[in-house]
Amino acid sequence: MTIQKDREGNEKKHLHKFADFATSRTRVLEIGCGEGRLTWQYARETRSTIAIDIDADSLRVATIDRPSDLENKAHFSLAKSEQLPFSKESFDMAILAWSF
Amino acid sequence: MVHALDEIRRVLVDGGIMIDMRPILDGWPIEVTSARSSRGTGRVQDLPPGIADDNAANQSIAQAEQDGWFIRQDEAFFPFVYSWDTPSEMEEWIEEEWEDFIRLEEATKQATRSAWASADADARVQVNVKMLITRWRVAAQNLKAASRS
Repeated sequence: MTIQKDREGNEKKHLHKFADFATSRTRVLEIGCGEGRLTWQYARETRSTIAIDIDADSLRVATIDRPSDLENKAHFSLAKSEQLPFSKESFDMAILAWSF
Repeated sequence: MVHALDEIRRVLVDGGIMIDMRPILDGWPIEVTSARSSRGTGRVQDLPPGIADDNAANQSIAQAEQDGWFIRQDEAFFPFVYSWDTPSEMEEWIEEEWEDFIRLEEATKQATRSAWASADADARVQVNVKMLITRWRVAAQNLKAASRS
């Protein structure tokens, strides 16, 4: 099956406009990252990104597909949004990616 | 969902930003498009569980805003286009991936197949998913504490 998603790049355009990564070295938590499709579109512009999902298989794919230049910047973790395994005030930004 | 929002504000710094980006059911339109033309063939049918999910998410975020957890800063809608080579590929995707919240009526399937069969050779089938993106700022610590008491 040949499927194309968001060929015009509207998602990336809007995310960058709303998140404004350029103004700070942001620590980002992405919730519901799946296989990392959205993560690759912004993680380079952050100080660090931790992306979580409840699907271990998707996280395995994301880790395998992670571009080499993001190995030290984008990390994946199996976690629920209702019980985040992070200490208080660890992030500057949270991105809820298709997760509600 | 309210628990998740409470957790998110816990791990965000004061004044931190939350970006909520998600699809909103709205009878997403279906089109057969080619380089030369575009033709609407109907809309998907929203199913009650999907509508209930949207309502629950909207209510949770509205509650969080009302409680002073987050301050809405900006909001917009934009299209996220899914596109397939053929109508049957689109039908298969919807049945396998989106079956819990939308469906295609038979008349819409027929209209799409018919439009695609008579379209140019480069014609594809697309669903224009309506996306909502909202930027929220975490309220200051004193508001966090006040709302917890």
